[in-house]
Amino acid sequence: MMEETKNLDLDRSIKKEAPQLAALLKEMKGVLDTVTSKVQALTAKVKANDFPTAGGISYLEAKHLLLLNYCQSLVYYSLRKAKGLSIEKHPVVQSLIEIRLFLEKIRPIDQKMEYQVQKLTRDIGRAAEQLNLKEKESEATEKSEDLLKYHPNPEMLVSRSDMMAEDGNAVYRPPKIAPTLMEEDKMSKQERNALRREKETQRRAKEGYMKDLIDDLEGRPEEVRENVGNESREFIRYQQQWEERAQREEELFTRAPVTKMEKKKEKHLKKSRDGLLALTDGFFDEIKTLPLEGDTGDQTKNFNNGSSATGRLKKRKRRY
Amino acid sequence: MADKAVTIRTRKFMTNRLLSRKQFIIDVLHPGRPNVSKVELKEKLASLYEVKDPNTIFVFKFRTHFGGGKSTGFGLIYDSVENAKKYEPKYRLIRNGLDTKVEKSRKQLKERKNRAKKIRGVKKTKASDAAKGGKKK
Repeated sequence: MMEETKNLDLDRSIKKEAPQLAALLKEMKGVLDTVTSKVQALTAKVKANDFPTAGGISYLEAKHLLLLNYCQSLVYYSLRKAKGLSIEKHPVVQSLIEIRLFLEKIRPIDQKMEYQVQKLTRDIGRAAEQLNLKEKESEATEKSEDLLKYHPNPEMLVSRSDMMAEDGNAVYRPPKIAPTLMEEDKMSKQERNALRREKETQRRAKEGYMKDLIDDLEGRPEEVRENVGNESREFIRYQQQWEERAQREEELFTRAPVTKMEKKKEKHLKKSRDGLLALTDGFFDEIKTLPLEGDTGDQTKNFNNGSSATGRLKKRKRRY
Repeated sequence: MADKAVTIRTRKFMTNRLLSRKQFIIDVLHPGRPNVSKVELKEKLASLYEVKDPNTIFVFKFRTHFGGGKSTGFGLIYDSVENAKKYEPKYRLIRNGLDTKVEKSRKQLKERKNRAKKIRGVKKTKASDAAKGGKKK
C-alpha cells in the first residue's frame, strides 16, 4: 500500500514537472513490449529450425550486428544519464559515434546492393518452397541453383526495333537509333530557290538595266552611281566582311590569323591607282566587234577573254 | 612628331577577376602619323588608369584601319607583376622585359637530337656529348 501511494505521488510529481517525459516513457514501454514479443516469436521459430540462418548474406549480417551494438550502447548511455552518472570521456560515447558513422557510410552501399539483395531473398524464398514440396529430389537443388544465377542474360535484351512494335495502336514512333534534331525552320530547296528569285527581281528593280528603263518611263532623273575603285561592289563587300570580322574578334578578344589568299586579295583591292581601276575592265569586249585594219569581213577575232585572273574576278553565274 | 595629337579610347572594358586583370580594346587615333609605338601607348595608359607599375600593362595585336589614322588593338593591365608572370605567355613577357629569351642555337639542338638517336636506354647524353665533341674537334 505504501509503495503504491509512493508510486502515485511520484507519478503525479513527474506529470507536473515533465509531462512530456511521462508520455515518452509510456510510448517507449509500449514499443519495447511489442519488440520483445516479436523477438521471442522469432527465436522460438529459429530454435525450431524453420529458418536456416547459416551462410546468409554476410553484408546484411554485418549490418545487423552493427545495429544491435548501436542499440546496446544507446541503452547503456541512457541508463547512465538516467542514474545521473557523468558520461564525459566514457568509451560508450566514442563507440556510439563510431557506429553511427559506420551506419551512415553503409547507406549508399545499401542502395547499390538493393537489386541483388531483393533478387536473392526472392529466389531463396522460392527455392525454399520448392525444397519443401519436392523433398530429396536432385532436380530441386538444380532449379534453385538456376534461380540463383546472377550473370547478365543477353536474351532478355530488348532490341530497338522491338520497342517500336510494342506500341501497336497506329501511332508511329520512329526507332530511336541515332540522336537527331527536329528542324522546324528549315526551308526546302524549292523554297530557298523561290526566295532567291524574288530577291533577284527586287534587286534588278533597284539597280541595273531595268531600273534605268523604269526611271525613263516614269520620268525620274537619271541616277549615276560610282562603281569604280573605292566604291566598287567588290570593295564594299570586302569592307563589310572585314568589319564583321573585326566585331567578332573584339568580342572574343583574339585575332584570327590572315591567310595568304586574304592577304593577296587585300593587296589587290588596296592598290589605289587613283580611281582608274575599272578603266580597262571591258576593253576586249569593246574592241572585238570593231572592224580593224587588215581584217577580212567574215572572220571575227577570237580574243582570249582575259587571263585566269580576270576569270576569277568574273561574277558568279546566277542560275535559279 | 609629338605635335600630332594621339587620342586613346578604350572600349569593352572588363575586370577579369579570374585572371586578376583588366582587359579592354584600345582605339588609337593618330592622324598623320604612321603608327604609335607600344611603349608610348603604355605610358598613356599608365597615366589614364593610374597604374603604379607600367610593367603590368600589356598591349598587343594592333591593326591599322584602311586609310591610316586609326588602329585598334587589345590591352591588359594586371594587378601585380607576379600575376603577370603567372598568366602571360612567354613572348609577351619577353617583349615587356620581364623575361629573357633563351638563345638556343638551332643547329646545335638538331645535332644533339641526332646523336641521341643512336643511343638507346638511359641516355647519358651529356657525357656522350662531351666525348663526341672532343672526338670531333
